[in-house]
Amino acid sequence: MDLSKDYFSSYDLPIAFQVDLTALVDRHRQLQQIYHPDRFAVATDAEQRVAVQITSYLNQAYGVLRSPLRRAIYLLELQGMEPLAPTNTSMPMDFLLQQMQLRERMEELPLAADVEAQLDGLADELLIMHNKLQGEFAVAYNDAQFELAETVVRKLQFIDKLQQECNDLEGRLLD
Amino acid sequence: MALLQIAEPGQSAKPHQRKFAVGIDLGTTHSLVATVRSGRAETLPNSLGGHLLPSVVRYRLDELPQVGSKALQHVVDDAPNTIMSVKRLMGRGLQDVTRLGESMPYVFEACEDGMPMLHTTAGLKSPVQVSADILRVLAQRGEASLGGELVGAVITVPAYFDDAQRQATKDAATLAGIQVLRLLNEPTAAAVAYGLDNEKQGTIAVFDLGGGTFDISVLRMQKGVFQVLSTGGDSALGGDDFDHAIADWVCQQRDIVNLNLSQQRFLLRQARTAKEALSQVSATDLSFAGWPGVSCPLDVELDREKLNSLLDPIIAKALRATKKTLRDAGLGVAEVDQVVMVGGSTRAIRVQERVAELFDKPPLTSIDPDRVVALGAARQADVLVGNQAGEEMLLLDVLPLSLGLETMGGLVEKVIDRNTPIPVARAQDFTTYQDGQTAMVVHVLQGERDLVQDCRSLSRFELRGIPPMAAGAAKIRVTFQVDADGLLEVSARELASGVAATIQVKPSYGLSENQIADMIKASWSNVAEDRGARSLREQQVEADRLLEAIAVAMQADGERLLTTVEQQTIVTQMEALIVARGGDDHHAITKQIDVLAKATDEFASRRMDDSIKRALAGKAVDNI
Repeated sequence: MDLSKDYFSSYDLPIAFQVDLTALVDRHRQLQQIYHPDRFAVATDAEQRVAVQITSYLNQAYGVLRSPLRRAIYLLELQGMEPLAPTNTSMPMDFLLQQMQLRERMEELPLAADVEAQLDGLADELLIMHNKLQGEFAVAYNDAQFELAETVVRKLQFIDKLQQECNDLEGRLLD
Repeated sequence: MALLQIAEPGQSAKPHQRKFAVGIDLGTTHSLVATVRSGRAETLPNSLGGHLLPSVVRYRLDELPQVGSKALQHVVDDAPNTIMSVKRLMGRGLQDVTRLGESMPYVFEACEDGMPMLHTTAGLKSPVQVSADILRVLAQRGEASLGGELVGAVITVPAYFDDAQRQATKDAATLAGIQVLRLLNEPTAAAVAYGLDNEKQGTIAVFDLGGGTFDISVLRMQKGVFQVLSTGGDSALGGDDFDHAIADWVCQQRDIVNLNLSQQRFLLRQARTAKEALSQVSATDLSFAGWPGVSCPLDVELDREKLNSLLDPIIAKALRATKKTLRDAGLGVAEVDQVVMVGGSTRAIRVQERVAELFDKPPLTSIDPDRVVALGAARQADVLVGNQAGEEMLLLDVLPLSLGLETMGGLVEKVIDRNTPIPVARAQDFTTYQDGQTAMVVHVLQGERDLVQDCRSLSRFELRGIPPMAAGAAKIRVTFQVDADGLLEVSARELASGVAATIQVKPSYGLSENQIADMIKASWSNVAEDRGARSLREQQVEADRLLEAIAVAMQADGERLLTTVEQQTIVTQMEALIVARGGDDHHAITKQIDVLAKATDEFASRRMDDSIKRALAGKAVDNI
């Protein structure tokens, strides 16, 4: 197992934003079957250490390949870019306004009479936006427009964060 | 040290090489040992036919400790020396223990590194030592039943156990002379016990309600792979709360206040009896005949309806935690295919009813909830030592609690989130904040809260030897590595200069390697006379095993995988071990075993790569 290869190659996948998720899941299971430390439970310390290193790498790679956001970031990193560098903060004004509106909605949401319906509505909207941005990223990346792709990734990260917060809010409100 | 004796992936041990391995459920109130025989997992009884070993140890002056039922008989008349529920003290600092120990009749004392010790007539005992005494009895029971030496054991721990608690459990096993094949989460073990017996596929929720803890895990099972999706629970919620709720209600009914400890214990026992009786009958009386020190008040009648109303608020807490854990897994209740019940408190009918209501399907209760964890652990142990030919079972677990570092202002920055699949490695870079700074302290914490004081402190690392540079110029990379047991290892180096910063690890709780070694030595002093002889024999056996394994490996792959110089180095160290083995100094043998093992580490790692390459080349990936 060559841990210096890129994650896509380790999973026999082409380096692209579109990923065959079924193939990814199957391949991950196969690799775990071979390299998991459980397969070396009565082996030497050295072998167990190697197994832990390899499966740590696999879990990391799998996490990146499975998540559209992390996958997109990783693809740009392979291009030598740093899409999430702290200095990299400029965003289009209309997107920022939209973000503020969404945040306001989320803050007021707990007071609404039909909390559950409101939550579902917001979650659906976020999902649509997430999917749309994924599409935009794929086009930009395939056309080698990496600067544009970088802007899309940052938008995607905003939406991803809102989705997480929406989930957390759902947890708090429905408990 | 079974170097190179492993079968290659896909191969299995021959039948006559069947290895003895057990699963151990090291419980708060009782413990069990189980194994797989003729394809069936079964718990092992003691010579009197009892399967459950009460997790109680009684220490005596100049005598071996009593463990189990014998010790349990002395809980009242020799309370300070009879240690119960030691699991609750594992991996805890003196402060936690003092708080937890309020209801315990033990005298605690801090040893130099803050680890709490119990004061007994046989001297100071750490919770790790007490657990080791329980584990030793279980291992002996396993060896007696199986008629041979154990290769190792899978020991179960609650899913919510943090690093310190897991490490303490592993230390206890080491102290008891048990090779730990894997620390396995209890709910995962339960799923395995059900999964393999019934060949189920799909999503499983394991609802584990014990005496004092509630654990919920969601797993996906597919083609023999059990993947834990999320775990959650409440480490202060359990059947004991049922008893307390009943006791409080009785006190209200009779305007009883200010109970002393033994009165309280008596009332709780009555409450428990009533609770258990109501699983069979619809109403029962709580009787107070014999209440110590009180003229006998009237009996109180408790019916099932009232019991349900007392239990419901407590069960509701567990159901809330269940829903949250499902959400963490990204699932709704409808997507759960099976619900597995674990823990004695799931015997309560009301618990089963409410769980069935939530999931809209009856939970699985066919395996004894007290034994299901040990049975699953035995399955896993059997697979790990390679007894299952062609067995594809694999357990993929997650980190139960987030790991983080202390940052400015007493805040915790998470480095690895909970529910991340393990093993996992993460690196985090730090820098200096003063010119010429040559050392920094890194504080590792575990928990979900934002403030340092609300999380568990795992260890403080002092990085020394950082080359003096301008503030912010040094770059120190700290790497977290969590293994398949959920145990953390941290390493660090300075990147800008390439100089490795030395790292000083001081566990906040738990034991250092040296302490374990000392304790193992101390435990041998009981049998001082033949200690030397036994050690010598053990080391000679170990030496023979290693020499033989290396000889076989060298013959097979030496020329192919090693240079002539590398081969010569190994042969020289083998010769040195043969010489040491012929002498009568077991320390010399141990030392040379270490040297030889280190000398062959690289060879072992090349052989593993090589065998995996061949295994991969030999089959289509789909068949792996």
